[in-house]
Amino acid sequence: MSDTVTFTLDGKSVTAKTDETLWEISKREGTRLPHLCHADSPGYLPDGNCRACMVEIDGERTLAASCIRTASEGMVVNTQSIRAVTSRKVVIELLMADQPERSDAHDKSSHMWSIASEQGVDSSRFPTKEKEIVPLLDNSHVAMSVNLDACIHCNLCVRACRDVQVNDVIGMSGRGKNARITFDMADPMGASTCVACGECVQACPTGALMPSTVVDGQQKGDSLDFDKEVKSVCPYCGVGCQLSFKVKDEKILWVDGVNGPSNEQRLCVKGRFGFDYIAHPHRLQKPLIRRDDAPAKGLNVDPSNLGEVFREATWDEALDTAAGGFKALKDRDGGESVAGFGSAKCSNEEAYLFQKFIRTGFGHNNVDHCTRLCHASSVAALLENVGSGAVTATFNEIENSDCAIVIGANPVENHPVAATYFKQFVKRGGTLIVMDPRGMGLARHAKFSLKFNPGADVAMLNAIMYTIMNEKLYDEEYIATFTEGWDEFKGHLSNFTPERMAEHCGIDANTLKAVARAFATAKAGMIFWGMGVSQHIHGTDNSRCLISLALMCGHVGKSGAGLHPLRGQNNVQGASDAGLVPMFLPDYQSVTDDGVRSAFNDIWGTDDFSSQKGLTVVEIMDAIHDDKIKGMYIMGENPAMSDPDVEHARDAIAKLQHLVVQDIFLTETANYADVILPAAAWPEKTGTVTNTNRQVQMGRPAVSPPGEACEDWLITVQLANRMGLDWKYQHPKEVFAEMKLSMKSLDNITWERLLDKAVTYPSLTPTDPGQPIVFTDGFPRQGGRAKFTPANIVAPDDKPDSEYPMILITGRQLEHWHTGSMTRRATVLDSLEPEANCSLHPRTLRDLGVEAGDTIKLSTRRGSIEVMARSDRAVSEGQVFMPFAYVEAAANVLTNSALDPVGKIPEFKFSAVRIEKTANV
Amino acid sequence: MTTESQKPGVWKSGTGRGRRTPKGRQVTETALTEIQTLLGNKPRRRDLLIEYLHLIQDQYNHLSADHLRALAEEMKLSQAEIYEVATFYAHFDVVREDETPPPELTIRVCDSLSCELAGAQALLTALQAEHKGGSVRVVRAPCMGRCDTAPTVELGHYHADHATPEKIASAIKAKQTHAVIPEYQSLAAYQKSGGYIGLKAMRDGRKTPDQVQDTINESGLRGLGGAGFPAGRKWSFVRAEKGPRYVAVNGDEGEPGTFKDRYYLEREPHRFLDGLLIAAWAVEAERAYIYMRDEYPAVLHILAAEIKALETEGLVEPGYIELRRGAGAYICGEESAMIESLEGKRGLPRHRPPYVAQVGLFNSPTLVHNVETLYWIAMVVAEGPKVLNSTELNGRVGLRSYSVSGRVKEPGVKLLAAGSTITDVIKASGGMLDGHTFKAYQPGGPSSGILPATMNDIPLDFDTLQPQGTFIGSAAVVVLSDQDSAKDAALNMLRFFEDESCGQCTPCRVGCEKAVKLMDAPTWNTKLLEDLCQTMSDASICGLGQAAPNPIRLVIEHFPHEVGKEISS
Repeated sequence: MSDTVTFTLDGKSVTAKTDETLWEISKREGTRLPHLCHADSPGYLPDGNCRACMVEIDGERTLAASCIRTASEGMVVNTQSIRAVTSRKVVIELLMADQPERSDAHDKSSHMWSIASEQGVDSSRFPTKEKEIVPLLDNSHVAMSVNLDACIHCNLCVRACRDVQVNDVIGMSGRGKNARITFDMADPMGASTCVACGECVQACPTGALMPSTVVDGQQKGDSLDFDKEVKSVCPYCGVGCQLSFKVKDEKILWVDGVNGPSNEQRLCVKGRFGFDYIAHPHRLQKPLIRRDDAPAKGLNVDPSNLGEVFREATWDEALDTAAGGFKALKDRDGGESVAGFGSAKCSNEEAYLFQKFIRTGFGHNNVDHCTRLCHASSVAALLENVGSGAVTATFNEIENSDCAIVIGANPVENHPVAATYFKQFVKRGGTLIVMDPRGMGLARHAKFSLKFNPGADVAMLNAIMYTIMNEKLYDEEYIATFTEGWDEFKGHLSNFTPERMAEHCGIDANTLKAVARAFATAKAGMIFWGMGVSQHIHGTDNSRCLISLALMCGHVGKSGAGLHPLRGQNNVQGASDAGLVPMFLPDYQSVTDDGVRSAFNDIWGTDDFSSQKGLTVVEIMDAIHDDKIKGMYIMGENPAMSDPDVEHARDAIAKLQHLVVQDIFLTETANYADVILPAAAWPEKTGTVTNTNRQVQMGRPAVSPPGEACEDWLITVQLANRMGLDWKYQHPKEVFAEMKLSMKSLDNITWERLLDKAVTYPSLTPTDPGQPIVFTDGFPRQGGRAKFTPANIVAPDDKPDSEYPMILITGRQLEHWHTGSMTRRATVLDSLEPEANCSLHPRTLRDLGVEAGDTIKLSTRRGSIEVMARSDRAVSEGQVFMPFAYVEAAANVLTNSALDPVGKIPEFKFSAVRIEKTANV
Repeated sequence: MTTESQKPGVWKSGTGRGRRTPKGRQVTETALTEIQTLLGNKPRRRDLLIEYLHLIQDQYNHLSADHLRALAEEMKLSQAEIYEVATFYAHFDVVREDETPPPELTIRVCDSLSCELAGAQALLTALQAEHKGGSVRVVRAPCMGRCDTAPTVELGHYHADHATPEKIASAIKAKQTHAVIPEYQSLAAYQKSGGYIGLKAMRDGRKTPDQVQDTINESGLRGLGGAGFPAGRKWSFVRAEKGPRYVAVNGDEGEPGTFKDRYYLEREPHRFLDGLLIAAWAVEAERAYIYMRDEYPAVLHILAAEIKALETEGLVEPGYIELRRGAGAYICGEESAMIESLEGKRGLPRHRPPYVAQVGLFNSPTLVHNVETLYWIAMVVAEGPKVLNSTELNGRVGLRSYSVSGRVKEPGVKLLAAGSTITDVIKASGGMLDGHTFKAYQPGGPSSGILPATMNDIPLDFDTLQPQGTFIGSAAVVVLSDQDSAKDAALNMLRFFEDESCGQCTPCRVGCEKAVKLMDAPTWNTKLLEDLCQTMSDASICGLGQAAPNPIRLVIEHFPHEVGKEISS
């Protein structure tokens, strides 16, 4: 069958693809037919319900909705016949009859109003509907105003919620004229399961759903009332959604998603509603220096009243003091006495400059960032076995998969937009396998949901691989062509029968076998993992198992297949690529390699620096306790909240003789600072970032930084110059250009290209948008082969006993980012999750004699905190889940700092814990 | 550890403001256990959602939010997915936490045209007054397919014919709330009369599907749900598509005034089932579905029993025929809406193309037949094409089962020649009621509108009424007399469409609602109504909205004086 047809459109012969709709064809031929229910937007299928786009087709009894009708050979279509034009107008008129007056419109610039104007319809001859069936205002949600009196039943919000984001909260309930948009079971939006992704708001063509910031007290608003629009990237997670800031009077009024490669216009609650933190009164606006008469260092500074501890200073004084302190330490105790933490929240250029600053300024590699706390073990295993630490395929590749495993990750909360693609994959018929001790949001969509015992990853995965081996479901040809170590690996697996592992991992043997068969027999399978895999003392082993599983099935290096550790921070991939880690220079070039260092010294025009791998995050804390490190430069990191056994870390930070913190807020870490340098927030900066998909994207400033706050790269440059490094960078693009000198991954990627659109690395030519899948014909290892590395069962470090009988798992929750410094200062996010909480199964709560909402005391071998208990059936009995964003009940007081021997990542995901009712219960 | 660092920081926790649970309504252990018990080991398939809603409604007399939340958990569906389905169908009573469950007994008073002519409004008012605030709920309801015994009232599942307040009172007193199962032909009796013999022959390979199809084509049998598509040709369309294929029976006989399907099913269920199995054999269907309207509890009972009997007799694999129960939605008589409903969804008609013969149930090719069509398929197979094609009248060939009600002496199903005129139909129905003069008639349900008595010589068959701006549809004839208002009848019809519009497309959802308001005026704004009618018929997605203007247009055309319009010369 030919894939094009020729037909007549308004008297003109037109050739079109068979799957092109008449609406699309008309649009490209110059006639934009009116459309209300058709979004003409990525991810939204036409629905044909509003009937505003009707056209006449010769020989057909009725008119046809052009948005859903395709052309057929010889068809004669008339878009301008009297019948068609009349029908379109009457449809608009019918809808206008029940619209609020334009002067009272919730959005006077709505799509609906512009279509009506185009059709010349400004009033309606029809009577209005009964008042009793007009929905009333629902302002129960802090972020969105629901005024369904303007609803035209176009169903776009339903599709937004169901087809695009797959949150399944919005429905069209009732029937006929009584049909209406409802949330869950006609609940107020704010009381529903709505996760506030705001997709419906972006899709609504009438203003019935609006960001609350765009309507006034009378619910009147105007979606075109802004001064400028700035396209940038979301600063929250590693998905790297592109967005557009709508700015008025130097304020971000609201945010829309734009069509980036990873998000296709989608956003989550943080990316859409989480930006007013930049205007929070706590923003640091002037450099600060610790007062001579300040109290002892501690977690004792009120961010809204710093005066007792810090005094304002000029930039010159602050920079002189900061650099002077470093120089003094370097002169007295050597460069090794000063270490640095950069940030995965800053740009690639800033990460690059930061590591260069430490390496060239102090001559060593004691520079690290939070990648150590998230995917260090994954990266270690990937480098070891496939020769590269980045993902082998973008998460969007799931579009071409038929089976996917998501293990130790909770993407609906932590990578919400990526999760939308996973859920869509299931809607298309893909087999989703979820493995996690907690039954999280994706589990409802999963064919197999394996709530395995915490820490039993290796046992479970080995048993699955045993089945694939035993039943000969592996890809023999792939193994022979692209891997090494298979025979030894087979021998290793022979001990791990599902029957033997079942009790160990808590999953019955038949399920393990069924999962093995589903994944191995898939045409193309993907594996996604998160910190549930990496944050263990056997985190590297966990990742090794996943890599082996993918390799043995041949699920790497082809369409719809691959390994994808979901990166946490917006730029953790980029910061790691840029060398912000102690063992690697940019592009994972080893610091121990003399040739590599020499090449960098050539580029940098510097003397050699240490050939020793530097210390990692937790090791640096220990080195402070051991008096080896006495000064630190911390840019945009918050170890006083994020480190395991955080009291121990805070004691270390307090012990520092000279601490320079560069941040946008007075973080918990900045409480202990000697000098605080006020930085610009992401929406105030220029720079590139690299997301979990290896997509390099451009961030642009939407507003100016407050007061004297300054972009991070510029602060680092000033400090470097005061350290005598003589840096001359005038703009981040110069830094980017320098990075390209040593980073092959940036080949063919230029600043100019990034100004236009995102580029995925590797990009093979100056015009190649980049390769979503890598390792199609071998691996960057010797012989081009990936490796099977056996993993044995290692018990968690902090074993439960009669004193600490339960298991604590830490993590994040949708509304709060990392340590909460930004999100707890964002009105919407803070109001959605205002209180520190931990979650337990209702039966566990009942056994403890605790009511949901009561305060309980959690104690581990490190410390105790008191926190509100939430009742959540998703948490397995005997376990407790706690997000680490809340300083008043800091989960990391409880966590264990025992490290994975390879990745040096702490075991955040497993602590033996005791739970008690508190006295006030 | 320094003492300072043990301070919890200076952030003020939003103590007491945090949620005690994850977002939204939580499932309770009690409700979950109840739902699990109710569902037992039934498969948690999405397409069975409506069946499970019935289970809950039957057991608890309403659908509590608590139970629906638990059902969502059990079926791995979202609350919205359940709620929107439950609220689409009239027979489900969704009760949220802040609402009161309905009383144990619900009385439904039919207010469709025939019942309205027989005094339904007065009956409804009387019953509502009598039971105000009591333990009985009185609501209006659309046609229950008992127009020949109007007015009809349903108590629970008991239908009171020729209802009066007194009759209802005594039925309540007697706790008469169950369907009365009529005497009908048993499997044994049907087999004795030669039933299922043809089917066996086909299954044994003594006939090919082509041969059977040819016989059906020869008989001239056309789809009797209303559209009149040649039955045999439908088979070839479905057979041309790649399997799996399904057969779905449209038993949602909701077109007001129609009761012929019920008539046949309550008498000869096996002739229908025979026809179904023949059709399923012919298209090699994976499975056969019967979508039966909930207004026919006796039929549901009969079919469940007789399908079981067929399974026991070995005439059909257990589970091959799935009997599904509608839940009160006229639109599900539209074949694609019915398919949506069979899939456990709201009954929203689909866009065409593709046609259900290509992309139907579970996106597979689906043969959809009306009940009576299958009845005649069995008849033609048993008796030969002549059973239909030997009758000829007024140039039309075949037979037609007219459901006759209104102002005639002997309403009921009249099997007449397909070329019969309204004069023939009235004659077959014993003539007009005493004291009534024939004024107008509805030829085929409200979708066909109203014709004046003067148009009494048109054969009431497929294709013959189109020139008059109407069609025969399901052959639901309602006869109006000089004591009836054509305008009121049209308004009754539009009110029905307004209630039964699924709400998917603008012209129908908003159009029906606006039409009712415009028609309620003493004088009609005919220009505006005509604009509306044109748009509804041109731009609605399905036949409901496309045909809904027929009553308006025909009243304007034939009864202009009733709507304040001067008769133009």
